[in-house]
Amino acid sequence: MPLGSPMKICLKLLLLTGIALASACTQYEEPVFLEHELQYFIPELSSTLQVAGFPQPERNIISQEGVALGKKLFFDPSLSANGKVSCATCHAPSLAFTDGVGLGSHGTTGNKLHRTSPGIFNLAWQADGLFWDGGAHDLESLNFGPLTHPDEMAADLNELVANLENNEEYKQQFEHVFSAERIESAQVSRAISQYVRTLISQDSKYDRWKRQDDSFTELELKGYQLYKKNCSTCHQEGLFTDRDFHNNGLDKEYPNPPELEGLYQGRYRITSKPEDMGAYKTPTLRNIALTAPYMHDGRLETLEDVLDHYQNGIQVNESLSPQLSEGITLNPSERIALLAFLASLTDSVFIQKHHQSTN
Amino acid sequence: MKNILYIALFSSLLIFSSCKDEEVPATMAMNITIEHVLDGQALELNGKSFTLPSGEDFTPKKFKYYISNVVLTNSKTGETYTEMDSYHLISEDGNKNINLGMIPSSNYDQLTFSIGVDEVANGKIDQTGDLDPNSDMAWNWNTGYKFLVLEGEFTNASSGDRQGLIMHIGTNDNFKTLSQPLSGVKAGMTTSINLTSNLDELFLDPNTLEISELESTTIMFGEVAAQVAENYSNGFFTVK
Repeated sequence: MPLGSPMKICLKLLLLTGIALASACTQYEEPVFLEHELQYFIPELSSTLQVAGFPQPERNIISQEGVALGKKLFFDPSLSANGKVSCATCHAPSLAFTDGVGLGSHGTTGNKLHRTSPGIFNLAWQADGLFWDGGAHDLESLNFGPLTHPDEMAADLNELVANLENNEEYKQQFEHVFSAERIESAQVSRAISQYVRTLISQDSKYDRWKRQDDSFTELELKGYQLYKKNCSTCHQEGLFTDRDFHNNGLDKEYPNPPELEGLYQGRYRITSKPEDMGAYKTPTLRNIALTAPYMHDGRLETLEDVLDHYQNGIQVNESLSPQLSEGITLNPSERIALLAFLASLTDSVFIQKHHQSTN
Repeated sequence: MKNILYIALFSSLLIFSSCKDEEVPATMAMNITIEHVLDGQALELNGKSFTLPSGEDFTPKKFKYYISNVVLTNSKTGETYTEMDSYHLISEDGNKNINLGMIPSSNYDQLTFSIGVDEVANGKIDQTGDLDPNSDMAWNWNTGYKFLVLEGEFTNASSGDRQGLIMHIGTNDNFKTLSQPLSGVKAGMTTSINLTSNLDELFLDPNTLEISELESTTIMFGEVAAQVAENYSNGFFTVK
């Protein structure tokens, strides 16, 4: 940079300020505090999601500024104990916010986790419990799990908040979004939740086809019919999940070592209801081609493996979801068609939007 | 002798008149202090060994719990004072005091509070103050708070091994509300209520617990946790 340029910039700035001041004097506008107002907004929603409105908790209404802060936190590894793990480490935008492995070991300790990282999008409508077993009531409560779990980000919340307080940029952003004198752990979680609620996947080929902006091939159409017949009870069209919990026949029995606090028992560990034994949340089929491996513990590598499981692998016990007692039988050509339909649920607009904005 | 009598008469007149003339202030300072006792001795963490009602030895390492929804009642007049946002994390190595500040004056004769966090506040953990999840009292995989935490070491009666005891009691069913009679609280007077929490009662009344006999010494959910909660709703707190 040439030596003269800072001076020039200064002069320009002075001139500009002068003009701004002069014009401010001549007009009768309310000049102050405009920058403190938050821009609240409701994301645009596609009819193909088949949802009524955009639910959000009254205590945490999203604003552009809150979402921006949440996004910054989501991608910031300094939140973790060793400064190396961010939310995005296990929820990478390029893989529909998953990490592509069965049981991840990229937390602070390197210990293997017990659940596979789920895709985190369209979660505003996941009202009946988050986590694979639905243990978290809402995003605001959930975030403390991965943030503080010793094998994930292992954050000490007091240290985390102190570090954010010492960062001038964060400090200002928090003050702006939450109008509070000091940062508290609740605000950290709320900001991240605001960002996560804006991760909405609704622009796949399927969505365009439904909106009559695109056409399906014959194969995709046949796959769609097969999906309707065999899968849509649990993977309900729209969000492609019934947001409920089912035992889909992965295991016959569920060991319960006390130190794991019922971890292998699925939703039973939360509800203590016998019918919830071995039941897990129905994952969405949206972006399913990007979110391998499959099931709550990532035990099935490919979608072919998943179809094999439903055709031949169902383990029958008392809590098995009744829809699966006969399994799902498809011939090879039907499989090809169904997989073609599933591929139409990949939302590259969504992936690119969030991928680009993070690089 | 006469003089003394006169003085006595005079001063009693003074006292009576002062009682009649002075108005009771509208508010009074109210404070609640809590002490923890086990086997008749003041609780200590990380060192001292105590004897449980079962006769088993026990070295406590952590003891904390929530007291919430504090209410004072004057049962004669029906006056009540209800503390707002009433959530207090009490711990042996931390806060053992509930300062209600200045409250409306009354001859309160009953103290009511709950052990744990009520269902509404227990339904989320992005909260502040004593409910901030930074105090290690929030479950991160099953939204809600631990209502009472007791951890320590004991010698297993049959094996002779040193073993850990972990009691994390929570969930809405184990939220218990109790009332204690108060005596001597006078309207307008600065008052300190002294509560004693007797840890023996976690293992007694109505459910007698022998920890060496338990299937698991990690007590978090299920039947044994419910038994402990029944115990802490019975005789765990007394007003001194």
